[in-house]
Amino acid sequence: MTTTEPSHGTQARGPVPDLPGARSHEHLANFPPPETWDHHVAYDAKAHPRKVAREFMLIPTTCFNCESACGLLAHVAKDDLTITKLEGNPAHPGSRGRNCAKGPATVNQLTDPERILYPLRRAGERGGGQWERCSWDDALDDIAARIRSAILEDRRNEVLYHVGRPGEDGFAERFLQAWGIDGHNSHTNICSAGARLGYTLWGGYDRPSPDYANAKVILLLSSHLETGHYFNPHAQRIMEAKNDGSAKLVVIDPRMSNTAAHADLWLAPWPGSEAAILLAVAGHLLRTGQVDRAYLRRWVNWETYLERLHPDADRDFDTFMERLTDDYADFSFEFAAAEARVPAEKIAELADIVAGSGDALSAHIWRSAAAGNLGGWQVARSLFFLNVLTGSVGTPGGTSPNGWDKFIPHAFDPPEAHEGWNELLWPREYPLSTNELSMLLPHFLNEGRGKLEVYFSRVYNPIWTNPDGFTWIEALTDPGRVGLHVALTPTWSETAAFADYVLPMGHSAERHDTHSYETHAGRWLGFRQPVRRVAMDKLGRSYDDTRDSNPGEVWEENEFWFELSWRIDPDGSLGIRRHFESPYRPGEKVTVDEYYRWMFENRVPGLPEKAAEQDMTPMEYMRKYGVVEVARDLYRQDERPLTEAEVEGAEPDEKGVLRRPTTDESTPPLVGEAGSVGVRLEDGSTVAGWLTPSRKLELYSQSMADFGWPEHATPGYIRSHVAHSRIDAEKGEMVLVPTFRLPTLIHTRSGNAKYLNEISNTHPVWVNADDASQRGLRTGDLVRVTTRIGYYVARIWATQGIRPGVIAMSHHMGRWRLHESDGSHWVSGSVDLDRSDDGVWRMRYTSGVQAFDSDDPDSARIDWDDPGVHQNLTFPVQPDPWSGMHCWLQQVRLTKAEDGDRYGDIEVDVGKSREVYQEWLAKTRPGPNAEGWRRPEFLMRPVKPKRKAFKVGS
Amino acid sequence: MKYGFAIDQRTCIGCHACTVACKTEHEIPVGQFRTWVKYVDSGTFPDSTRDFAVMRCNHCTDAPCIKVCPTNALFKRDDGIVDFDGESCIGCKSCMQGCPYDAIYIDAESNTAAKCNFCAHRVDEGLEPACVTVCPTHSIWVGDLEDEDSGISRLIAANETMVRAPDQNTGPNVFYLGAERATLDPLEAPVRDTYLWANPDEHRLAASQDFIGEDPTAATTLNTAHPRPWGWRVATYLWAKGMAGGALFVAALAAIVGVPLGALGDVVAPVLAAAGAAATGLLLVWDLKRPERFYYLFTQPNWGSWLVLGGYVLLVFGLAATAWLAGALLGPDSLLVWLAWLVLLPCALVAGYTAFLFGQAEGRDLWQSRWLFPHLLAQALMAGAGAMGIFAWLLGVGPDGVALVTRAFVVGGVLHLAITVVDLFGGHSTRGAAVAAHMIVGGRYARLFWAGAVAPVVVAVLVALTSWNGGAAAAVAVAGMLSQVALVIYETVYVRAGQDVPLS
Repeated sequence: MTTTEPSHGTQARGPVPDLPGARSHEHLANFPPPETWDHHVAYDAKAHPRKVAREFMLIPTTCFNCESACGLLAHVAKDDLTITKLEGNPAHPGSRGRNCAKGPATVNQLTDPERILYPLRRAGERGGGQWERCSWDDALDDIAARIRSAILEDRRNEVLYHVGRPGEDGFAERFLQAWGIDGHNSHTNICSAGARLGYTLWGGYDRPSPDYANAKVILLLSSHLETGHYFNPHAQRIMEAKNDGSAKLVVIDPRMSNTAAHADLWLAPWPGSEAAILLAVAGHLLRTGQVDRAYLRRWVNWETYLERLHPDADRDFDTFMERLTDDYADFSFEFAAAEARVPAEKIAELADIVAGSGDALSAHIWRSAAAGNLGGWQVARSLFFLNVLTGSVGTPGGTSPNGWDKFIPHAFDPPEAHEGWNELLWPREYPLSTNELSMLLPHFLNEGRGKLEVYFSRVYNPIWTNPDGFTWIEALTDPGRVGLHVALTPTWSETAAFADYVLPMGHSAERHDTHSYETHAGRWLGFRQPVRRVAMDKLGRSYDDTRDSNPGEVWEENEFWFELSWRIDPDGSLGIRRHFESPYRPGEKVTVDEYYRWMFENRVPGLPEKAAEQDMTPMEYMRKYGVVEVARDLYRQDERPLTEAEVEGAEPDEKGVLRRPTTDESTPPLVGEAGSVGVRLEDGSTVAGWLTPSRKLELYSQSMADFGWPEHATPGYIRSHVAHSRIDAEKGEMVLVPTFRLPTLIHTRSGNAKYLNEISNTHPVWVNADDASQRGLRTGDLVRVTTRIGYYVARIWATQGIRPGVIAMSHHMGRWRLHESDGSHWVSGSVDLDRSDDGVWRMRYTSGVQAFDSDDPDSARIDWDDPGVHQNLTFPVQPDPWSGMHCWLQQVRLTKAEDGDRYGDIEVDVGKSREVYQEWLAKTRPGPNAEGWRRPEFLMRPVKPKRKAFKVGS
Repeated sequence: MKYGFAIDQRTCIGCHACTVACKTEHEIPVGQFRTWVKYVDSGTFPDSTRDFAVMRCNHCTDAPCIKVCPTNALFKRDDGIVDFDGESCIGCKSCMQGCPYDAIYIDAESNTAAKCNFCAHRVDEGLEPACVTVCPTHSIWVGDLEDEDSGISRLIAANETMVRAPDQNTGPNVFYLGAERATLDPLEAPVRDTYLWANPDEHRLAASQDFIGEDPTAATTLNTAHPRPWGWRVATYLWAKGMAGGALFVAALAAIVGVPLGALGDVVAPVLAAAGAAATGLLLVWDLKRPERFYYLFTQPNWGSWLVLGGYVLLVFGLAATAWLAGALLGPDSLLVWLAWLVLLPCALVAGYTAFLFGQAEGRDLWQSRWLFPHLLAQALMAGAGAMGIFAWLLGVGPDGVALVTRAFVVGGVLHLAITVVDLFGGHSTRGAAVAAHMIVGGRYARLFWAGAVAPVVVAVLVALTSWNGGAAAAVAVAGMLSQVALVIYETVYVRAGQDVPLS
C-alpha cells in the first residue's frame, strides 16, 4: 500500500509517483508523503506529551557507512538547520525506506564532538601528534604545486589516490583521467579481489547480483543476512523469499553467524575447503543429470573446453557433457567431506537442495572464503559453476552479474584515457590481479620500485585495516618514500595521524556523490547530497560552496577536486582545466550543481521524462527524491538483442564475437575488450552476451592458460594455505578467521557512532568450547595468538558457535591512538609504541576506552572500556598469486598468555614480515604473456588506459 | 482502538536497527534503551543456533506501571498506548518495580522514568513508530488489535504467538511470532560468562549463577543492563518504619495491659516512632531521582498507588506519634489508654503497608508473597520491641516493663523467623519467586542471609528468653541491638534478591 495522494507541495507540481518503500499499517504510514517534505511539521519527541511543533525539511541523501548505499532521509530543522535524525528514504528502490543500525547512527557521526572541523597541517614529525590549523588555500596550493611538478616532470606515477570505501561511481576516475595519471589505488585486494577473479573468469563481470526475492534456494557463503554487500537491501529480499516463497536458505560459514542461525542448512566446514564442497555438488549435478543442458549448450564455451582439454574428442555437446562429468568425477561427497571435515551426508543434503532450485538459485560470495584462502577465487568460481549448471544465471530467482543491475552515468566532456602503467599498482607478478596490489605498496616502496610525491588516503585507514601495519608506518613516516601524505577523512584514524595534511571531508549528509549498486534485479542511480546546503537553497539562503553548510570548514571532495584541478592547471595549458569548466558557462569553473545537472539532463535514461511528469527539472527531481529508478525486473541481459547502432561496423570473428576495428590507441571499457560489442550465436541471434573475450561464460579460461596457469583454466580446488592437512593440531596450530563483521559496526568508520559502540564493544577470540577446555582455557582468559611475524594478546570466548580447530575475531575493533590530539576517544585506547633497532615493534595499551568530557554529555557515560586488539598488525601480507587478494586466514598458535602479557599487547618483527612477503611473491608467475601483454584486456581495471599501455615496451 | 506490536522473530536478523532508530528518535542517553535485541545461543556444535527477541514495553492492557505510579506520570491513552509524562514524574522508580518486563528506566538526562511510548508523538501525526519504519525485514508490525481486519490482527490470528511473562496477567500487547521460549523467558537462558560482543553487567552475571533453564546449553549472549532500582535506602526505610511502628505498638500494648513503662512509653516510644517515620520519609524523598518534586505525591496523587497511600500512612502515623507524646506528657492516664487503641491501626499500617506497595511491584515475584504483610508486622514487633529493650535497659525500667518488652520481642522474633522459613522455603507461586528465594537461602546471598540475618535473630531470641520474666534488661538490650542489625541485613537481602531475578 502506498501513498498516492495528489501533491500540492512546493516542488512536486505533478502527480507524486508510488514510492517503492512507502507502506502503511492501516492508519499509520512509514513516511510523511513526499509532497509535504519541504514543510513537514513534527512534534518534539522529548517534549511529548506536550505538543511542541517544529518544522522540518526532509531531504534525501545516501548512507556512507557500509557499501550498500541505502537511502536516507535527513530531517533538517528549518529554524537552525540542525539535522535532527536520519531515517530511510522510501523513494529508494534498493533499500525501500529501511535501514540497518548504521543508517540512523549517522547522526552520531555528524554530531561527534571530536570531529575534525578545519584543515590541519603537521607541525612536528610525522605521527608526532602536533597539528596546526591551516587554510584550505594553503593546502590546495601546496598539493597542486607538487602534482603539477610531477606531471610536468613526467613523474606521474608518483601521485596516488588510495581509496577505501569509494561510495561513488565515476568521479575519482574522472579527475585521475583528466590529470592523465595511472594513480587509482583501491582497497580491493584486502577486500574482494578473490571473489572478483572467480566471477570475472566466468563472464567478465566481477561480482554477483542474486535475485533473492524470487529465489527457491539461497546459498550464502558467510553472513549476508547481517553484514556485507548489500546487507539491508539483501536481508529484506532474502527474508521475503524465505517467508513468503518458502525459499531454502543454506549458509556455509565456520562461524555461527546470525545468518547461519536462520539457515535451513548450516555447514561449518574447515576454512578453505569450500570449493571442494561446491565442486562435489557440481559433480553430483552432472552425474545425476540435474543440469540445464540447453543453457550450457548456448552460453558456455564448451567447444573451447573440448578443444583445449580433450583435443581428440568429438566436438559435440553430448561428448562435452560426458567429458565434463568425467572431469569432475573425483569431486565426490566423500572427498569434499574429508577436506571440509563435515559429514558427507551434509554435503549430499546440500547437493539435493541445490538440485531442487530449478533455475532459481541465488548464490553469493563476496569476501569470506574467497578473501581468506590461497586460491580463494576458485571458491567464487565454483559457486557460480552451480548457477551455470542449474541455468540460474540472470533468471528470476537466479544470479545475475552486477553489471546488469548497476548504472554508471558519466559527466560532460569525459577525459581521454591515459597511456601510463603504474607498476607500483599493477606489478608484473600479478597479471591476473583483479585490482591494484595496494597492500604491497609499502613493500614496493621499501624495495625501491618507486616513490610517491603525493599520496592521498581517502576514507581509508591502511595502517589499521591492511595487514602488516608496522611496515605501512615505516613507509609512511619516511619522507624519501612518501613526499606528502594527504588524508581526506571526516574523522581521525590511525593513518590520518601519520599524514602531513588532514583535510576534513563531509559525512554522508554533507557531500555530493552518485552511485549505483546491484541490490536486486533492477537499476537505480542514487544521489548523495549535503542536506543543509539543499535546505539553504530551498530557504533562499546564500553560500559559496558546501563548506558554508557543513560544520566548521568541513568540505566535500567533489568541490575539492574541482578546485585542486584548476590549481594544477591554472591557465589550462595542461588540458586538465577544461574538464572542470562549466558546460553551461564556457571557461568558468564548473559548480557541483552544474556537474550533476548536466549528468542528470543528459546521461540518465528516463530521468528527464520522470522529472517532467512532476513538472520538475531532472536536478530538482534528484534533489527531492535522492534516487531514480532506471530499470526494473532486469533478467537475461545476455540475450538482449543488439541494436543496429551497436552492431554497426562490427564483424563476427571465427567464434561469432562481433568486433569493431580497433587500434592500439583504442581504450577498452572498464570491463571487456575494446571493439567487442556482442556475439552472434549458433541460431543466428545477435545478442549482447558476456564481457569475456568469447562473449560467453568461460568454463575454460584461455586467459588463465595464456598467463601461465593452464592447470587452473577451469573451476577447480586449490588447497588453501590453511587447509586441514597443513595445520598441525598436535603443535597447537589453528586457523584464525580475523575478518568477520558485526551487524552494528563498519570497518574503522563507525568508531565515532556512540549508539553503535554501546551495543558492540568487546573483542573476544571465539574459541570452540572443546578446544578451550583441552587447553585449560575459560572465557575471559588471556591468550597469545602467534602468527608468522609476531603475536597479540587477547581474551577468549569459549563458545559452541564456531567449529573446532578454528578461532575467530571480529574485524572492527582494536583501535588505538598515540596522542590525545588525533584519535577518537569513543573507541580507542592510548598506546605506547616502540621499535627496536632490529625492527621488532611493540605496542601496549596505557589506557582503555574511558569516559571523557565533551559537548556531548554522553561521552561521560561511556561504560565500555575494551578498545579491542589490533590483530591485523600481526598479519604478514599473503597475496594470492592469481587474484592478488590478501589471504586473510592465518595459521596461528593459541596458547595461554605468558607472564607479563597484558591485554592488547602486540609484537611484530617487520623483518619476518618481509620474509613472508617474499615467500608469497615467489609463488607468482609474472607476466607479460607470450604476446607481451601485461594483463588480459577484458579484466576490470579502474581508470583503464589505452590499449597500448597493456603491452610491455610500447 | 488498541495499538499493539507483533514481532516476527522468524524474520528478525538481530541487526539492532530498531534499537538505534529508537535511540535517535528519542535522543536516549548512552547506556539506556527503550527497545533492544536480545540474543540467546543454544545447542552444541554443529547443532548450535542463535535466537533473537526484540524487547520493549508491552503496552499492557492492565498495566502495573500505571497502577503503581504515584503521580499519574504513566497513563493509558484511548488508543491503548501506555504513555508517560516526564513532567509529572518524581523518579520514585516504583514503575520499574511494577513492570515485569524491564521496560522502564530512569533517563540519565531528565532523571525521570521513560520507556517505549509507541512513538506516540509520531502516531499522533499518522506515522509508524521509528522502529517499525527502519526494520529491514519488516519484522515489527503495528496496528489496531481490536480491529479484526487489521494486518496485525490477521497476522496474530493466523499464526501461533507468544507473549512475555503471561503469568503476570498484565495483558501484554506485544505478540511474538516464531520466538524461542528461551528468548522470552529470562530464567530459561542465564548469562554464562560473557556476551558475544559486549560485557554483561555484573548484576546480571552474578544473578545468573542462581538458576538454569530447561535447556542447559541456552545462554543469553546479548542483552542490556537493568540495575536494581532500589538499594540501601529502601532496605533501611523498611527497617526504620518497622522499628517505629513496633516501638509505638509496644508502648500502646503496655498502656492497654496496664504495665507502666514510664518515660520509655511516654517519651522514648513516640520519639522513636516519630524519628523512624521522619527518617522513613527522608529516605523515601532522598531515593527519588527528582526529590524536589516529592510534593507531587500530594498535589497530583494516584489514589490507587500505595506510594501515595503510604505517604498518607506515614503522615497519619507521624500524627499518632505526636499525639501519643502530647497525651503522655499533658493528658491524664485514661487518655493514653484510649489513644493506645487508636494508634494500633497506624502502627500496623506503617509497618505493613509496604506489603501492599510491594504487592503492586508486579515485576518482583518474591515480594508478591501473601506472607509479606504479617511478616512486616512481626518484623516491626521484633525491631520495635528490640529498640525499646535497649532503652528499657538504659532507663532502668522495672521488671514488669522489661518482661513485657522482652515477651513482645521474643514473639516478634519467633514469628519473624517462622514466617521467614514459611515464606522462603514454602511453595512459590512463580518461578521468579522461587529463584529469588533460592538466591537468599541457597544462592548468592545465602552466607549473608544465614549468618547476618537469621543467626543473630536466633541468638537474640535465645538471649532475650533469659529475661522472659523481666530479670535481665541487659540481655534484652543486647538482643535488641542484634536484631536491628539483623533486620537491616534481612531487608537488604530481601530487597536485593527481589530485584535480582532477571525480567528480560
